[in-house]
Amino acid sequence: MSRTLFNDIDLLPPDSLFNIKQRLSQDSRPVKVDLGIGAYRDDNGKPWVLPSVREAEKVIQKDPSYNHEYLGIGGLTSLTQGAAKVLLGDDNKALKEKRVVSVQSLSGTGALHMAARFFTKFCGDKLVYLSDPTWANHNAIFETMGLKTATYPYWDPATKSLNLKGYLSAIESAPKGSIFVLHACAHNPTGLDPNQEQWASILDAIIKKDHIVLFDSAYQGFASGDLDRDAFAVRLGLEKLAEVSPIFICQSFAKNVGMYGERAGCFHIVLPRQDQSVSIENVKDAINSQLAKITRSELSNPPAYGAKIVSTVLNDEQLTEQWHKDMVTMSSRIIKMRHQLRDNLVKLHTPGNWDHIVGQTGMFSYTGLSPEMVKRLEKEHAVYLVGSGRASIAGLNSGNVEYVAKAINEVVNHFSNSKL
Amino acid sequence: MIRRQIHKIPGCIHGIPRAPPDKILGLTEQFNKDKNPKKTNLTVGIYKDNWGQVTTFQSVARAQMILDQSIELNTDLSYLPIKGCPDFQLNVLKFLYRESCPEGAESLDQGRISFVQTLSGTGALAVTSKFLSLFMSRSVWIPKPSWPNHANVFQNNGFDDILYYSYYKNGTLDVDGWLDDLERGAKSRDGPPQCIVLHACCHNPTGIDPSREQWRRILDKIHELNIIPIIDMAYQGLDTGDLYKDAYLLRMSLDKKRYNWNNGLFLCQSFAKNMGLYGERVGSLSVVTPVRHNSKEIKRNVDSQLKKIVRGMYSSPPGYGSRVANVVLSTPHLRDLWHKDVKNVANRLHSVKAKMAERLEWDSLKDQSRQHGMFLYTGLDMRSVETLREKYSIYLVQDGRLSLSGLNDSNVDYVCDALQSVHRE
Repeated sequence: MSRTLFNDIDLLPPDSLFNIKQRLSQDSRPVKVDLGIGAYRDDNGKPWVLPSVREAEKVIQKDPSYNHEYLGIGGLTSLTQGAAKVLLGDDNKALKEKRVVSVQSLSGTGALHMAARFFTKFCGDKLVYLSDPTWANHNAIFETMGLKTATYPYWDPATKSLNLKGYLSAIESAPKGSIFVLHACAHNPTGLDPNQEQWASILDAIIKKDHIVLFDSAYQGFASGDLDRDAFAVRLGLEKLAEVSPIFICQSFAKNVGMYGERAGCFHIVLPRQDQSVSIENVKDAINSQLAKITRSELSNPPAYGAKIVSTVLNDEQLTEQWHKDMVTMSSRIIKMRHQLRDNLVKLHTPGNWDHIVGQTGMFSYTGLSPEMVKRLEKEHAVYLVGSGRASIAGLNSGNVEYVAKAINEVVNHFSNSKL
Repeated sequence: MIRRQIHKIPGCIHGIPRAPPDKILGLTEQFNKDKNPKKTNLTVGIYKDNWGQVTTFQSVARAQMILDQSIELNTDLSYLPIKGCPDFQLNVLKFLYRESCPEGAESLDQGRISFVQTLSGTGALAVTSKFLSLFMSRSVWIPKPSWPNHANVFQNNGFDDILYYSYYKNGTLDVDGWLDDLERGAKSRDGPPQCIVLHACCHNPTGIDPSREQWRRILDKIHELNIIPIIDMAYQGLDTGDLYKDAYLLRMSLDKKRYNWNNGLFLCQSFAKNMGLYGERVGSLSVVTPVRHNSKEIKRNVDSQLKKIVRGMYSSPPGYGSRVANVVLSTPHLRDLWHKDVKNVANRLHSVKAKMAERLEWDSLKDQSRQHGMFLYTGLDMRSVETLREKYSIYLVQDGRLSLSGLNDSNVDYVCDALQSVHRE
C-alpha cells in the first residue's frame, strides 16, 4: 500500500472548554454546576432568548419580502450602520465625518480573524500584544495568520487587581507601532477592567509610542446593562486617536443579543482625520475593496439570518428599547449572583478576601482559585470551571449559589489546612 | 499635542491599493444603479421564478414554520460546536454517502469520513485549501474557465501555485487538452502531490460537463498521477432535476474497485442553490480518508486539525440555515417535497433554454443535452457583453456567462432580440 500524507498529521489536544462539557455530561451526580460555559443562563439555568429577539423574529417572519438571497460581500448595510452607531454613539464625530469603514463579520472571532488577515497583508512585521491572561483563542487567531504575538502584564494575582505599572511599561518598551489588543469592557477571563483614569493613561502611553489599537468589544451592554457605559474605553480611544492613527474594532453581538450561534458581528476601521492632501473616500474605498477580497475568499458573503434579526432590533425604536431592558435583565442578574456568592463566602468565613468577585464585571470572574482547588471542586463537588480559576457567573442561580459557596469554602479550607 | 503629518501614520493603511471588484457581485452593484426600466440582471446564480422573484422553496418554507412553532428547536441560540450541528452532520452524511452515493457507505461505516459544517461551498473550499496547504499540497489545478472565485480562494488560503487545465474549446469540451496538461504538469515536477478542482455537475460558467466515459478517462489519469481530487458540488439536482442522479461524479470517484485515493478525496458541497438557502451559508466539507490499518487515528487527527482551522477563522458556523436544512432532510414528507422543488427548478431552467433555442439559432442551444444547469455560456466576447450592458441594460458576466433563471415570459423576447443583434455584429 502506498504512502499517505495523512500519516504526517498530528492530533491536537481538544479544546479545554469542550472537555469540560464532555465530563459534565458524563457526570451522574444529581447536583452539578457548570461554571465553564461562556453563555448567559437564566435563574433556572436555562438558555434565554431575549424578548427583543423573539419580537424581531416575528417581524421578519411576517415580512412578505423575506427571502434567503445573498447579502452583499460587506454584509447587511442596515446592520453595519446600526452597529457602528451602537458602538461609537449616535452623535459620534467619526461617524459624522465619515471616517468609519464597517463590514459584517462572523461575530467577534470572524472580525478578529479579518483584522489578523488585514495586518498580515499590510503590516505583517508588527508585533501583536495581548493581555496576560487573555481569551484562549486570541493567540491562535493571530498566530495562525503568521503574526508574532507578545503579552503585556494585566492581572496581578497577589492583589487581584490591575497591574497598571507593568501594563504601562510594556507599552513603553514595545517596538514602536506595535498592535495592542484591548478588551473594550468585561475583560475575558479576569472580569477586571481599568477604571476611567487608568484607561486614559493607557491610551496616552499607546499614542506616545505610535502603537495601533485594536478593540475587542464582545460584551457591550452585557457588562453593566448600559451600552454607553460599556463603550467608555472605545469612545475615549476614538477621541484621543482622532488626529493620530486608525483604530480597529471587532464587535460581537453574541452575548448582548444572545444569538451566540448566529455569528452576527462587525469589523470597523475608524480612520483619523486627514489633512487636505488625502481623499478619505479613496482610502475607504481601498480598504473596503481589500476587506471584500478577504471575505470573498473565505465565505463569499456573510450569513443573513442573524444579521437581519440584529438589524431589526437596532433599527426599530420599540425593539431597541426592549433590547436595552433585556441587557439590564441579564447584567443585573449576574451582578446579583456576584454579590450572593461573595456574601455567602463571607458568611462562611472562607479564608481570604472575596471582594474582587463583586468588583469584576461581565460574564466571568477570575476567582483566584488554584488549579488544585479547581480539580477538587470538580471531583468532590461536581462544580466545573476552567483550570485557570475562571468561573462563568452566568452559571450561578438562586438555586445553586449557596451550594457553590459551600463547595468553594470546603476546597479553600482543605488546602489551607493541609499547609499548616 | 503637535499635529503630525497625519496621512503618513501609519504608512501601512495609506499605502493600500484598491483591490479589483469581484467580477460577478460587482456587476449587481452597477445593475442596481441602472435606471433603464428594461434592465435585466443575468449575472448572479440565484434562482428566480417565472415572475422574476426569488422565492423560498416550499419545503424550506414549511421547515421554517416547523422551526418557528417548535419551542424545543427554537429556544437555544447557543454556539454550535466548532464542527457544526451534530444532527445536521448526521443527516447530511446520510444524504451524501448513503442516498446520493451509496458507494460511500462503506467509508462512512468504517469511520473514514471527516466532516465539518461550512459556510456553504466557498467556506468548504476555504477550509479545504487551508488544510491542504498546511499538510499536503500548495499546488492546484483549476479548469479554464472556472468560477472566478476559485483561484481567489486557493491563493488567499495558502496555495502558491495555481495551474489551469484546458476545458473548453470552440464550444465543446477539450478532454485531450485537459489530460495533456495534467500529464505535462506532473512530469515537470516532483515533490508533494498536486490537487485538482472538479465541478461535480453543471460546470460553472460553461454549463458543459464531461460524459461518463470522459469522466472515466479523466479520473483514471488523476488517479494515476496521484493528484488529490477536490469535488466542488454546488449544483446537485439542478442538472437533471434528480438530486441523486446528479451525484454521479462522486459515485464514480468512490468506486473502490477502481480507485483508492491515497491522499483522500475532498468534497465541498453546498445547499445554496439546491435548497435556495443562498445567504444563510449552508454547506459542508467531507474528507474521505484512505483505507489504512490506522484509519480511526487518521480521522481523529484530521478532525482535530479541521477544528483548529475553523476555531481560528470564525469559531463555529451560523446556526439558522443548518437548522432549516436539517428539518428538510430529516422530515420524510418535507424531504419528498424538496425533491419535487428541485425538479421544478430544473424543469423551468430547461424550458427557458428551449424558449431561447426557438428564438436563437445558436449551435450551443440546439443540442439541449450539452448545456447543464443554471448558466448558458454564450461565447460572446467582452465587447459584446459590454454592448449588451450599455445599449440594452442587459447584464451578463464578463466572460459571457448568462444566468438562465433571470429570464422569464416577460423579458425573454427582449433579451433574445438583443442577444441576436450583438451576436450578428
